[in-house]
Amino acid sequence: MNDRMSLFPYILAGLRNKPGRNIATAFCFAFIAASIFSGQYLLAGAAGGIGQGISRMGADHLVVPVDYMALMGGRGPDNTIPIVRAEPSVFRFNRSIMDTIGRARGVSGMSPQLYVTTMYVPALAPTPIDVYGIDPDTDFTILPWLEHPPEHPLASGEVFVGHGIKGEVSSSINLNRHHYTIAGRLDPTQSGADTTVFLSLGDAYDLAATEGTLPASAPRILPGSVNAVLVRMGPEAEPDVVEADIRRLVPPSSAAVIGRHFSLDPVSRDIQDLSGVVSAISAIVVLAAFPLIALISAMVAHERQREIGLLSAMGGKRRVILFLVLSESLVLAAAGGIAGIGGGLLTIALLDAPGFLGNAVPVTFIMPSAMETLVLAGFAMSAVVLIAVVSSLYPAFRISRMSPYDAIRSGG
Amino acid sequence: MIEVLGVTKSFRGPGREVRAVDDASLHVGKGEFVLILGRSGSGKSTLLGLIAGLVRPTSGSVRIKGNDIGLLSDNSLAELRAREIGFVFQFSGLLPTLPALENVLVPTLLCRGGPGTRSRAREILARVGLTEREDAYPATLSSGEMKRVAIARALINGPSLLIADEPTGDLDVDTEYEIMDLFRQLNLEGMTIVMVTHNPDLACFATRLYVMDRGKLGLEPGPFPAKDREPGNAAAGAPDDE
Ligand SMILES: Nc1ncnc2c1ncn2[C@@H]1O[C@H](COP(=O)(O)OP(=O)(O)OP(=O)(O)O)[C@@H](O)[C@H]1O
Ligand SMILES: [Mg+2]
Repeated sequence: MNDRMSLFPYILAGLRNKPGRNIATAFCFAFIAASIFSGQYLLAGAAGGIGQGISRMGADHLVVPVDYMALMGGRGPDNTIPIVRAEPSVFRFNRSIMDTIGRARGVSGMSPQLYVTTMYVPALAPTPIDVYGIDPDTDFTILPWLEHPPEHPLASGEVFVGHGIKGEVSSSINLNRHHYTIAGRLDPTQSGADTTVFLSLGDAYDLAATEGTLPASAPRILPGSVNAVLVRMGPEAEPDVVEADIRRLVPPSSAAVIGRHFSLDPVSRDIQDLSGVVSAISAIVVLAAFPLIALISAMVAHERQREIGLLSAMGGKRRVILFLVLSESLVLAAAGGIAGIGGGLLTIALLDAPGFLGNAVPVTFIMPSAMETLVLAGFAMSAVVLIAVVSSLYPAFRISRMSPYDAIRSGG
Repeated sequence: MIEVLGVTKSFRGPGREVRAVDDASLHVGKGEFVLILGRSGSGKSTLLGLIAGLVRPTSGSVRIKGNDIGLLSDNSLAELRAREIGFVFQFSGLLPTLPALENVLVPTLLCRGGPGTRSRAREILARVGLTEREDAYPATLSSGEMKRVAIARALINGPSLLIADEPTGDLDVDTEYEIMDLFRQLNLEGMTIVMVTHNPDLACFATRLYVMDRGKLGLEPGPFPAKDREPGNAAAGAPDDE
């Protein structure tokens, strides 16, 4: 044991003195921490879901060969689902059209896609699978759908596979005598992408050139030809304006533009409303708990007047006395804060397990990462500590200014 | 060591003013054992509070070791109290949440780098005869034991000045003389002591005696032979009730 006395056992001794009241105070802090933490945690989860939702919405516009549109009767693909993948077709144009599209106002990103073929590979899926080429450098529609963010961009010899394709990540698959390593798998898209294997464009051209990949009757695939260019707009751009500008630039005889006609804005707004509600609840909790905690600190300070007077009479500097009173409150805040955050996490985990959360709000929750959780916990802790300091500062200050002798005399 | 010059302290009571200490002057040299005698309510505790800088005088000045405590900042005054002054309060003022040994150690929290260690606290408790009670909580101590813990606490930081407010109040005569014996030893070791009592029989321990009456302080003519008196025949002046 230390030969000298230290402050901590002293503070603990003070706390042990009134277990009931101190537990109540700690509980108060726990409640504040839990409400702030779980509110922020759920918001972050919802925002994560929305963020992912937005990044998974795919392209804003699809530029396709005009012949394809003619075939579709001008209707284009089902525009109410995200454009992740171009539709399979044998109509192609050269990717150099991207130079033209890129000049349109409001275009912030472009990526070409190539439909290679559809083949039946029993080892990979019970139904035929589509084989696509994508450009790993510019792709922005496939990447957000991956189950796990990849460590590096798709390389030659690697593939991403749709959710319905069999085979472990990092295992090898065989397409017409070419071997590829699965570098990642997509979450379910409820679209053709679920049964698609995505190759890098270079590999796609090689595979296409291999005998037996394409049906003998099908037109050859020349390097540089693609089926579609997926276009993304900048945040400020208006879809109709961008679409019109692309139309103006690309030769109408060669390409057509398909726009996407839905967005996640309303959901995004819902989340913002939710965020307001959560913050309001947190604020109410804090406001309700604050006077309570202030009252308790005042009570504690009053009760300890004599003890504080004694310390001061024995040569305690004001700073030490302030520290003693504050640290007691801080210990309670820290204990309560940790308990509250733990309790909040536990509650969320329990609610999340049977999927209540997902059903309660029309949003997919993407729970914050360990790092984010730590930051949120830190935020809740700081809030609680701040409340502890502010609420006990005044009584502590007042008492540290009292004449020590009066304090000793009173209640002697 | 201590120089009190024309100090007055008045309190605003209901309606009228109470002069607890009225134009008091007092001198305590280094190594002295000064006793202040007086009836209850004569202002003794207030005077001790003034000497220790716990009470701000209404007028007059108090000097300790050459420092005019009226001119010291709160922090310097606290520092002076922590390092140089051991105070035994009239009410023992132990912290009920801590056992005797920890109570003795409390002033070490306020005096960083002082001599106060756990082993020193044990030595001092042994010196006041409480070796066996070091783990006892104040609620389980007798009032004499509490007084002795309070004395041990006043000594832990190795002060050069001990101020004691009725350290033997409500103790039986034997215990009273044990404590006085301890004080005399401490005094012989060089500690300056200022002590308040309302028991005139203790005058024999003092090197200088003051008497306080309704706020007025008077020096009794000396010298005081620091001679022993048998504990048995201390029956002269009837002490006032607390
Ligand atoms: N803070 C205060 N406010 C008002 N009056 C006070 C205060 N402190 C002391 N007094 C008054 O000053 C006078 C002297 O008090 P003091 O405590 O110094 O007496 P004392 O000699 O120590 O008495 P006792 O022997 O009973 O301890 C008393 O009349 C007391 O009521
Ligand atoms: Mg008194």
